Amino acid sequence: MNRLLTYLFRTALAAILAFITLPLVVVVAASFSPTSAVTFLPSEWTLQWYAALWDSRWLDPFLLSVELAVIVSLASGLLGVLGAYSVAYAKCPGHTAIMALLLSPMSVPQIVKGVAVVLFLSSIGLYDLLGTPGLVMAHIILTLPYVVRMAATAMFGFDKRLDRAARILGASVTQRIRYVLLPLIRSGLFSGMTFAFIISFNNIPLSVFLVRPGQTTLPITVINHLEYSLDPVLAAVNVASLLFILGAIILFEKIGGFSAQFHGGSK
Amino acid sequence: MAVIICSTPTKPLRAVVPVKGLLPLIAPSLVLVLFFAIPMGMMIGISFQSQTEGSPTLASYSRFFSNDLVLAGLARTVVMSGLVALCVTVLAYPLAYYLARATSRWRTVIFALAIAPELAGVVLRTYGWLIILEDRGFINSALIWTGLITEPLPLSKNLFGVVVGLTHVILPFGVLSLLTSLQGINPNLEKSAQILGASRLAVIRHIILPLSVPGIVSSFLIGFTMAASAYATPALLGGAGFKVMATMVYEQVLFYLDWPFAAVMANVLLILMLAAGFIGSRLESRLHQKLHL
Amino acid sequence: MTTIDIELLSVSKQFGANRIVDDISLAIPKGKFVSILGPSGCGKTTTLNMIAGFEAPSSGQIRIRGRDQEGVPPEARKIGLVFQNYALFPHMTVAQNVGFGLKMQGRPREEIADGVSRALKSVHLEGFEDRYPKELSGGQQQRVAVARAIAPSPSVLLLDEPLSNLDLKLREAMRVELKEIQEDLGMTFIYVTHDQEEAMAMSDRIIVMQGGVVAQEGAPADIYGSPRTSFVADFIGKSNILPASAEPGADRNLKVSLGAGKAVLTAARGDDVAPDNVRFCCIRPEAVRLAEAAGALDEPANRLTGTVQKVVNLGAYIEAWMLVDGGITLKSMIRSTRLEKLSAGCRVDLAIAHSAVQLLEQ
Repeated sequence: MNRLLTYLFRTALAAILAFITLPLVVVVAASFSPTSAVTFLPSEWTLQWYAALWDSRWLDPFLLSVELAVIVSLASGLLGVLGAYSVAYAKCPGHTAIMALLLSPMSVPQIVKGVAVVLFLSSIGLYDLLGTPGLVMAHIILTLPYVVRMAATAMFGFDKRLDRAARILGASVTQRIRYVLLPLIRSGLFSGMTFAFIISFNNIPLSVFLVRPGQTTLPITVINHLEYSLDPVLAAVNVASLLFILGAIILFEKIGGFSAQFHGGSK
Repeated sequence: MAVIICSTPTKPLRAVVPVKGLLPLIAPSLVLVLFFAIPMGMMIGISFQSQTEGSPTLASYSRFFSNDLVLAGLARTVVMSGLVALCVTVLAYPLAYYLARATSRWRTVIFALAIAPELAGVVLRTYGWLIILEDRGFINSALIWTGLITEPLPLSKNLFGVVVGLTHVILPFGVLSLLTSLQGINPNLEKSAQILGASRLAVIRHIILPLSVPGIVSSFLIGFTMAASAYATPALLGGAGFKVMATMVYEQVLFYLDWPFAAVMANVLLILMLAAGFIGSRLESRLHQKLHL
Repeated sequence: MTTIDIELLSVSKQFGANRIVDDISLAIPKGKFVSILGPSGCGKTTTLNMIAGFEAPSSGQIRIRGRDQEGVPPEARKIGLVFQNYALFPHMTVAQNVGFGLKMQGRPREEIADGVSRALKSVHLEGFEDRYPKELSGGQQQRVAVARAIAPSPSVLLLDEPLSNLDLKLREAMRVELKEIQEDLGMTFIYVTHDQEEAMAMSDRIIVMQGGVVAQEGAPADIYGSPRTSFVADFIGKSNILPASAEPGADRNLKVSLGAGKAVLTAARGDDVAPDNVRFCCIRPEAVRLAEAAGALDEPANRLTGTVQKVVNLGAYIEAWMLVDGGITLKSMIRSTRLEKLSAGCRVDLAIAHSAVQLLEQ
């Protein structure tokens, strides 16, 4: 009985994991397939679609997405630390309210935030802000709560006795921030910024309202093509941008060393 | 999207570093007001505007609630989101239970496998499902080749395709919320039940399931809200005829340029989300009380 | 009918290259209170888990009521288990918790209700049936845990440090109570603890474990009175443990040299230690007595003079460190009534009975 249950459970797990990985495997396989009709295990392999990526059709959107992700992660990192700092340290009774306020954009669906920003810019006549400035604006609103929350978690986790210990040893406020606080919250901050980078880079629901024709981000470019064809070059684009994201995470981790934060669920 | 686990801090901390008031808060607040609060307020205002008259009107709302096509879209959204939430929870549960209890080195691998697809973004995964589910796609061509069917099964450009795609996109979030809940269950409770004579199934029925109901609720809620506001997957996997709130809002803004109507739709979607969130959190705190956690 | 309830036959447990339990054999008699005592990491919890069936031995055999338990899952072993953190089901009332085992056996409702009230009565918790665990104090939760474990009437109850989450006063009261429950029910209790006082207070037998092996096994008084190794002497109670060597002396006694031969004591000859193998000597602090108090001592004793180095007042007793001739420091426990006479620098005459000088091989 117990053995049967164990087998059933293992089979279910394997099936679920297969469900999770299948689409990724298929896309990777498609990116090496010479024909546009995607078949199970293509008989021939080609790198032609990857070669085709070196084209302004894909490079321009890619560069726009990177630019956006960099600006957004830096800006929301800075704003997030300021916000989390006030919430965690200010002598002020309303910090739960402030925290709720800073996190409030989270409870509004992205598509609604997108509509709000595009209607706002259009109705006050600032059409020119569509494109990069509007995208930055909307993306920051999207990522700020995550960064605030992670930075605040790191600050709340900060043992205040450490600060007292530094103080009794004669450290000034700036010294304490520089040598005690910042090093300790660094990993929380970096994971927040990495998160912001990834969300911004992959974003669709906000970007779809705010891109200018002919100047779109990479995911929007891809879905615009996808509506008409399953061109294998799109598979190559997707695989390449996944590799880019993985590279970015490794880079951030090298700089920020936040991997401890990713061990979610370890006991 | 990547997922990083962090809990919202619960205990306020007394000041450690003296700050002059809330000075550092000015910049984030300004950004928040300018980029979020004002646009949101404006959108709500626009929903009461009329295209012809100047005074506030409920015309767009009454148009919304008398338009069968739009109401069908709303109903479709609710049904689709409910199905996705159900599928996410059912598939996430065994995975989360395994991750909560396993100690072998496979655990890390499976955790990575369960969460890593989030990094790939929605487009890649939706594209993958298009390849798999399409009429000439992976599954249909395989089935036709074996001779089991002669005509392709309708796997994409319909509700089925969208539910599969969205379930895949949202699954990691379901896993994480169930994982948090299941990890909170002391493994000694299971051991105690076992030594008292409970079989594996009885342990699941009497201990694990009842104690993880809050996790089930939150997984369902995450599934529902994320599905209801998803744009790309319904647009691509649902095909032109499959209209949900998110895709309809998009059309109103960019094709019909009917801003008041778009604003009404966005507001209805927002209210749907907030209501789901509210009911969910009330249910959760009720359950916590009821389960004496 | 066998009188051995649980038997371990050269049981070992290995995790990778780590040998947590190394070839231990035990026979636990029916109806006794047996403690498995040892510091953390000595293998006692792993031993308990193997008896309960949560872990399988790497080698060896476990027998419960005469039957080999290989492949028998925990739910079929019919034993009770009480955890350190109680592990009460938070979503069930006290009655539901206590009745869980009977319910799993598929007993009819009246029988479950009966069993619940009997179990609650034996832990003095009548009237708490409808409370939830969260609404109980630590001590009450502890009692519910015990009631839940004994309700299905297992022949053996395993207890894993069940008192360590309670405060000192309650812990001491619960010791007495647990012992009473055990005697009333005539159940075999296997009690795992790192607290030697607890083990001494309750047990009929103590099994001292160290590094995965059984260091010593016996009645509490025997283990305290004649520890077999310096580890046991040090772990159970307080003691002076000194490197020593021995040779045969007069009157069938042994001559024990301490501190590089500068101090010599006489020890009553034990049967189990050959003089050549003696490595350590152990003297309990209460055996180091002031000569005037030892006047009435009716057995032969070593007489020493020493200087008091340090005195610590413990209330009922004082603890004093004496530097005796030969450059050895001995710790002594003395009744507080003599307190005023003792202070650092005093010269004192000491007496240590020959029988109180324990000789150890390791």
